[in-house]
Amino acid sequence: MALDGIIILDNNGRPIIQSGFRSTTTAYPLLHIDAVNDALQKAERSADVDPVIYVASYNAANVSSACCHVRVGDLRFLCPVSGDVDPLLAFAFLQTFIDILREYLGTVSAATLRDNFDIVYQLFEETLDTGGHPLTTYSNALRDIVIPPSLLNKLLSVTGTNFNSTINSGFGAGAAIGPFSSPLPWRKTGVRYNNNEIYFDIVEQFKAIVNKNGTVLSSNVHGKIEANAKLSGTPDCSLNFTNPQVLEDCALHPCVRLLRWNRDKILSFVPPDGRFTLMDYTYSSNSLPSPSPAQQSLSSVTPSRTNVALPFTIKAIVELEDSGGSFDVTLTSRYSTHALENVVADMHLGQGAGGIRCSVSRGSGGGGFINAGGSRNMDTFGASSGASWSFDAQRAVLRWEIPIVPPSSSWSMHGSFSTTNRIPRPSHAIRVHFDISSHTYSALKVGQLKVMNAKENYKPFKGIRGRSSGEVEWRW
Amino acid sequence: MSQPGQDAKFFQRGKIEEFRAELHAAEAKDKKFVKRKTVLKKIVANITMGTDMSPLFPDVVQCLGTPLLEIKKMVYLFLVSYGRSKPDQIHLVIPNFLQDCNDRNPLIRALAIRTMSYIPIPVVTEALSDNLRHALKDRDPYVRKTAAICVAKLYSADPRKAERGGFVELLRDLMLDSNATVVANAVAALSEIGDRQDGVIFKLNLATANKLLAAIPESSEWGQIYILDSLLRYVPERHADAEMMAERIIVQLQHGNSAVILTTIKALLYLMNYMENRQLIDYICKKMGPPLVTLLSSGPEVQYVALRNILLIIQRRPTVLKNDVRVFFCKYNDPIYIKLAKLEIMYRLARAENAKEVLAELQEYASEVDLDFVRKAVRSIGRLAIKVEAAADDCIQALLDLIETKVTYVVQEAVIVIKDIFRRYPGKYEGIIPNLCENIDALDEPEAKASMIWILGQYASIIDNADELLDDLCYTFLEESTEVQLALLTATVKLFVYKSRADKAKELVHKVLKWATEEADNPDLRDRGFMYWRMLAINPTVAGEIVLSEKPPITTDSDRMDRGALDQLLLHTGTLGSVYHKNPETFIRNAAGKALKDSPALNAHSRAVLIPLARTQLPSIAPIVVAGPGPTERSTEPQTQSSSVAPSPPSKTDNDTDLLTQSQPVPTSQNSSSNDQDEAEDDEPPHTRQANNLDPYSNLDNAFGSYLADEPRPMASRRHAEEDDLLF
Repeated sequence: MALDGIIILDNNGRPIIQSGFRSTTTAYPLLHIDAVNDALQKAERSADVDPVIYVASYNAANVSSACCHVRVGDLRFLCPVSGDVDPLLAFAFLQTFIDILREYLGTVSAATLRDNFDIVYQLFEETLDTGGHPLTTYSNALRDIVIPPSLLNKLLSVTGTNFNSTINSGFGAGAAIGPFSSPLPWRKTGVRYNNNEIYFDIVEQFKAIVNKNGTVLSSNVHGKIEANAKLSGTPDCSLNFTNPQVLEDCALHPCVRLLRWNRDKILSFVPPDGRFTLMDYTYSSNSLPSPSPAQQSLSSVTPSRTNVALPFTIKAIVELEDSGGSFDVTLTSRYSTHALENVVADMHLGQGAGGIRCSVSRGSGGGGFINAGGSRNMDTFGASSGASWSFDAQRAVLRWEIPIVPPSSSWSMHGSFSTTNRIPRPSHAIRVHFDISSHTYSALKVGQLKVMNAKENYKPFKGIRGRSSGEVEWRW
Repeated sequence: MSQPGQDAKFFQRGKIEEFRAELHAAEAKDKKFVKRKTVLKKIVANITMGTDMSPLFPDVVQCLGTPLLEIKKMVYLFLVSYGRSKPDQIHLVIPNFLQDCNDRNPLIRALAIRTMSYIPIPVVTEALSDNLRHALKDRDPYVRKTAAICVAKLYSADPRKAERGGFVELLRDLMLDSNATVVANAVAALSEIGDRQDGVIFKLNLATANKLLAAIPESSEWGQIYILDSLLRYVPERHADAEMMAERIIVQLQHGNSAVILTTIKALLYLMNYMENRQLIDYICKKMGPPLVTLLSSGPEVQYVALRNILLIIQRRPTVLKNDVRVFFCKYNDPIYIKLAKLEIMYRLARAENAKEVLAELQEYASEVDLDFVRKAVRSIGRLAIKVEAAADDCIQALLDLIETKVTYVVQEAVIVIKDIFRRYPGKYEGIIPNLCENIDALDEPEAKASMIWILGQYASIIDNADELLDDLCYTFLEESTEVQLALLTATVKLFVYKSRADKAKELVHKVLKWATEEADNPDLRDRGFMYWRMLAINPTVAGEIVLSEKPPITTDSDRMDRGALDQLLLHTGTLGSVYHKNPETFIRNAAGKALKDSPALNAHSRAVLIPLARTQLPSIAPIVVAGPGPTERSTEPQTQSSSVAPSPPSKTDNDTDLLTQSQPVPTSQNSSSNDQDEAEDDEPPHTRQANNLDPYSNLDNAFGSYLADEPRPMASRRHAEEDDLLF
């Protein structure tokens, strides 16, 4: 299991910074950079490049290796691996490293990396051992050994004072306790807050494929609970739900006591300090007790995993003719209480499409309806629309955007396009993305959150909210 | 001044002399070492840019005495980069190293140990040995965990010396440490040592394995991965041990880290080889499905690795995910590598119950934009027809509809698969031949053309104008590719056998035989031409019997991997090997091969197909060359791959005859399996491997990835196909 290092490339494929690569020759990272750039150049769409690229050796003595790479904004993170490595280890590590960078630098971009290269370099050193073993990746522990470029630090360095790294004065407050003395790898000891707070965001994403008859072919709701804990001391939290049966396939943060969860369906944990993902889950609407293994294996095809009602329907009439076509698409919200927000519908019209003539409008329905939740002022988008369309000629994608779709309203877009090929080949699907605030598909409800703290007695502020988004591929 | 936000200017390539002068200047008057810090920062920036800063060695080392951690870190960075290239000057820093090894700050102790271990020069290693021994017993866990990793480094510098120094034993003791991170790092170091070709063998016994499991809950995700991975070094002696262990690690399937999940699955798959309790195995299979599906909601990179692994897993354990085919339906904006992987899985999961759904999806894909994907989709429709008899009618109809579209590449793919369907279901679908003949002119690719010609020849008796069509095709005979020429040759001979009285057929066969024997450069074509000619000359009746002899029906069954090879590949679940579906030691540097170890608990069928480790990891003189751009080879030459594994690779034809001969003895014992589905699924009696025994991958050749693999082969033996159906 060896990750050979990390290389960060800018959007031109030039390296910005890379880790040591001490156990390999200097040509090794270059070879990987070339291999990735090569593959990117050859591919029609950069997204179509295999995420694990095989890198042939440059001489007979070295047998080849592989390069895992991920795109982050304008950057590309490379992780060359050799030996019998789990590429997921590389991807998981890259993801962790990117998260750490975000925490340290705010945004991860070529500019911030260049400005803070010494921090990044130290992070390389602390998170990845030359032998390829990930080392410290919990940000709590990392902050003890690599000092983040916080505002405080900036101020101090401007005034020329430097207190936190003189050896003899130890590590400030941390010295007495010492780094890595915490029994919990994810939480350091001696955390203090004036205002103790803990927030949970329940975020759910609905994904579905719908066929032309409006039948859902496959759908699932993937949810996660993101937490932000600002609690003093070593708090012990326990969180229960009134309807835990909607949760399935749970993946939990290592801080959660698995036995307790499996037995009582109570999340009992000592939270890390700051932001973390407490759990991932799939929403299961059939809350029936799952049949015994024997039955399951004999039962034939089971229905798709979730039966979440589609939030909207689409009627699409597309007529194709020689060198072009026309389309008439209507989107109608099926919700009676919630508004769909930031609705974006993409239609790929096929290579060589252009000459778009298009108009978007708001149809009938849901006119003067005021959201039951009252969270939004419906007057801001009167009967006119607010909807708009645009066309990305390079990708041949027609995009239809509607900022807010009020309950049971309907919207339409119609127009025509032409193609340079005689036979137009649009993709037979419309991809719709939307958000819904203050709503979860699963209606997961937190019953009680207890924060226990042996030493200090404080009542933390607790906040929980839900939000949802969705991605539906609607075929026509 | 090192104002944040201004650091970018350090990247300007500075001159060595300038830095040296600045360092010297800083010695005189440097309030709070700010100057030195700035210069060092510039130097480090240049190192990261790849500029050689090694001439500054003596000057930089001077700064080591500075009582500032930040400076110390940067000097150490410098040492790590250039230490090994300065064996004559490194002794200058040894005293500093020794001093830091005894610092009261654990961070500095660890830093010193770590830096020393990165410099594999005898004088440093010498100094490191004693300090490392102390560090392994340091009271601070951070130092211990750093020291554990350093042992692996020391070992790679001089294995025998590290062994004599007792470091391996010290590491073994660390596996029982109270701190989980230390335990995990000790395991990591031991694994690294154990994977070396010259390393000590790292095996776990039951007691240690249990101790390691106890450390899992408190470990970081990386530590958990090391520990779970090390379970493959434990060989259960009793079924109960394997079962107990699996029950303990199954909770890890709920972990949030994708690599932990896949490593857990790997360990479970491994342990299942040693289990007996059928219910537990089923239970575990059921538990493995959902986390695999959850991985599919991650980014495309993780999805890709997950999909490639799922493809392997469902071949060995078909009950996993068997009801989840819908999860693998493609979205049109999925990257192409995801789509192709999903398509393969959909085909594997297809069976009579879900064939309709799958077919509807495939038809949808056939109208997509991406060429490669469309072709694969069309081909999959044909494979589906061959695999699931109940769906064959619908599939044929779907293919005919596709031919109606007249899109050239779709038509070509359809023709290719229809040829195979004819062979799978003789006498059932020949009625559609006229539809195919209408599209003859659209075919311009050799494979499609050859397929069409085969159909014309094979069914010349029922195609009225077969002679005309073949004659037309023969106009360009000499310009065609060998594949098409061979097909034309055989087809005209067949035509002649059917219609030996027709002048046209006679004339045609004569013309082609003459071309093949006199004009063609290709020896295969020439030989075949001579052979046909003589056969026809000596005894046309016998020739007819030979040319039109009954073909063995075909199945897609043989593109399943050999069970033993599968078992072995699954030991690499989640690793590069599983992504490329090849054993990693054949294409990756430093990779150690893995093989199931025999033990009394190993289930009988796994043992029967046990593949001993290929000895390729022994130092070989000739480098192992893997053909093609990546390990997913385009199999025109199956030999390139197998030659690295076995001394005598059986050629493709050998392989085919093997399969043919196998089809004769059909054991009747198979009947018993009809009432024992599980038996069929899990422990199907091993194929009787013959000449290809040496090379476990010979009949794997390209079970995946390339078109050739889809090519249905002669049905190995009907029983396998039956078994296959029983699985579902």
